[in-house]
Amino acid sequence: MIAILEQGLLLALAAMGVYISFRLVDLPDLTPDGSYIVGGAVAVVLLRSGHGWISATLLAALAAGAAGFITASISTRFKIHTLLASIMVMTGLYSVAIRIMNAPNLPIPRFSTDKVLSYEQIVGKTPLDDILGGLGNLQYEKEGMKAVTVPFNNKADGHDLILIASTLLLISFLLWLFLRTELGTMLRGYGRNRFAVKVLGVNPNIFALMGLTVANFLVGLSGALFSMYSGFADVNMGTGMVVVCLASVILGEIIFGSKEVAYGLFFPIVGSVVYQILLTLAMKYGYRIGFKPSDMKLLTAMFVVSVIAARRFKKSEVTV
Amino acid sequence: MLRRSLTAVVALLIVSVLSFGAVRIGITQIVDHPALNAVFNGIVKAIEDAGFKVGTDVVIDRQNAQGSVQNAAAIARKFASEKVDIVVAIATPSAQACVQVITDRPVIFSAVTDPVGAGLIKQLGKNESNVVGISDMVPVSTHLKLIKAVFPNARRVGVLYNPGEANSVTLTNMAKAAAPSLGLTILDMTGTNASEMVAAVNSVGPDVDVIYIGTDNTAASSMQAIGSAALRLKKPIVAADIDIARQGGLIGFGFNYFQVGVETGKLVVEILKGKKPSELESHLLGPESLMLFINLDLARELNVNIPQELVDRADIIVRNGQEVKR
Repeated sequence: MIAILEQGLLLALAAMGVYISFRLVDLPDLTPDGSYIVGGAVAVVLLRSGHGWISATLLAALAAGAAGFITASISTRFKIHTLLASIMVMTGLYSVAIRIMNAPNLPIPRFSTDKVLSYEQIVGKTPLDDILGGLGNLQYEKEGMKAVTVPFNNKADGHDLILIASTLLLISFLLWLFLRTELGTMLRGYGRNRFAVKVLGVNPNIFALMGLTVANFLVGLSGALFSMYSGFADVNMGTGMVVVCLASVILGEIIFGSKEVAYGLFFPIVGSVVYQILLTLAMKYGYRIGFKPSDMKLLTAMFVVSVIAARRFKKSEVTV
Repeated sequence: MLRRSLTAVVALLIVSVLSFGAVRIGITQIVDHPALNAVFNGIVKAIEDAGFKVGTDVVIDRQNAQGSVQNAAAIARKFASEKVDIVVAIATPSAQACVQVITDRPVIFSAVTDPVGAGLIKQLGKNESNVVGISDMVPVSTHLKLIKAVFPNARRVGVLYNPGEANSVTLTNMAKAAAPSLGLTILDMTGTNASEMVAAVNSVGPDVDVIYIGTDNTAASSMQAIGSAALRLKKPIVAADIDIARQGGLIGFGFNYFQVGVETGKLVVEILKGKKPSELESHLLGPESLMLFINLDLARELNVNIPQELVDRADIIVRNGQEVKR
């Protein structure tokens, strides 16, 4: 149960980012599929180069935030929909992440390792040596890695949970404070009514930039912490992030109904934990009812669509 | 309704009583894929061959992360919190996720090309930890020498791989390290899915003399399309995985993933018999597992002359549309 909470709360950081882009500022943004990887990649690279985990995490989140800024810039400058702009940025970030790590997968070594040699050097011979000649001067050597310490102990004894929960609480509190300020109020206003902000004489593009930067900052934070928590970053770890986060946000909204406490910042938190519980149940008992793990993606997608459809139905009933 | 749920409870109880005393093996793999499924089948085969009955002596909990690293982490933590006695992790991210959270029970990795570089173990051979496994590393420089022996005039070798697969990137780096001393230049031909792979063959293919494919999962699942694209360009494919070579390759030198699974299964059996992971050696598939595959039909079609001594040595030959094993 502790492990489920830990993973749920880690996901909640990313879900909060998606909540900000999709709900608060109403700009559908797919950048998280890429900025999540960037967060993880930057964090692992910095950790391995000797940075402390706090500075590595913050810089990773800033790099991911920059990705959101780029999406918003493309969208506002060239007047294209954020969805389209974010697909471009997300696709590009795949290559960027591989460049950052100089590999598709980078571990956070828990112990120092020996150097890596080639098959021929390890085994000494192959069956074709008499035809092709022996080892010759073919050398391959990859330097060993030095151990890196991370703040997580992975013992499910509550230590990691406290660390993740306090990070999440701190971030939510800071966000809540920000949303109370004049700037935060205008940001929320931008999400509700684009024209209202214009009337006040403020360039609305600023809010698009701000919203998506903050959103992806949170996603990057989630990616960085997830990498430290799991012990590695992988270029495929961002795939499907947006859909999972969106499902979490919607779950939270269903549970809370229309009660918007603290600008709805609790929707993604509760939703992510519930999502993680559902995922675990599906893994644990799913096979008994003929449920395959590969069905999870379809179920998630169907869930999101059905909730949206149900809402539309309700709305039209009211208005008609 | 009540009766039905009662029946379900009773059935569950019977199942749990029956499986009481059985060893629980959790097997996690990163994605549903022919090569990785072959590893799974090989593991089960080795366990059964050793006399353990699956279902009574051992209970296998098979989990698949569906390509999601988050799911791989969730599966690892599920195994950690449940009464799973032995964990087997197939492919790099699944293994990394398990090693991170399971330290009190044996973790056996499989199909990881560079387990040291992936941070799973300190070194090949014995390690003072709960982790042991099989690396699917292949002799890359031998492959290049093989290319040189069959195509003495070859200068440029295109390596076809998915830049998102850790295993393939390791092999490509090895090829790049070995190529200069053989007078070869390596060209990257990359794609992250089947259609990008075919596009890579069509765009870079004309510039290379030979196409080399390591143990890439993406290439493996799109081999039919890759093979016919290469054939149109009259470019031969040399592969490190026998199953890849079988689907459109000219030469293959390596093993198949069922063998990787069997070797992994042997480690599981040792542990079932009471050994500790620290008493077992993490190792590659030895030279005795390497097989040579040659498609002589394709050689004729491509006008390639394969040295007779290689043909004599081949373990599998395709001639007149028939595969002959020796």
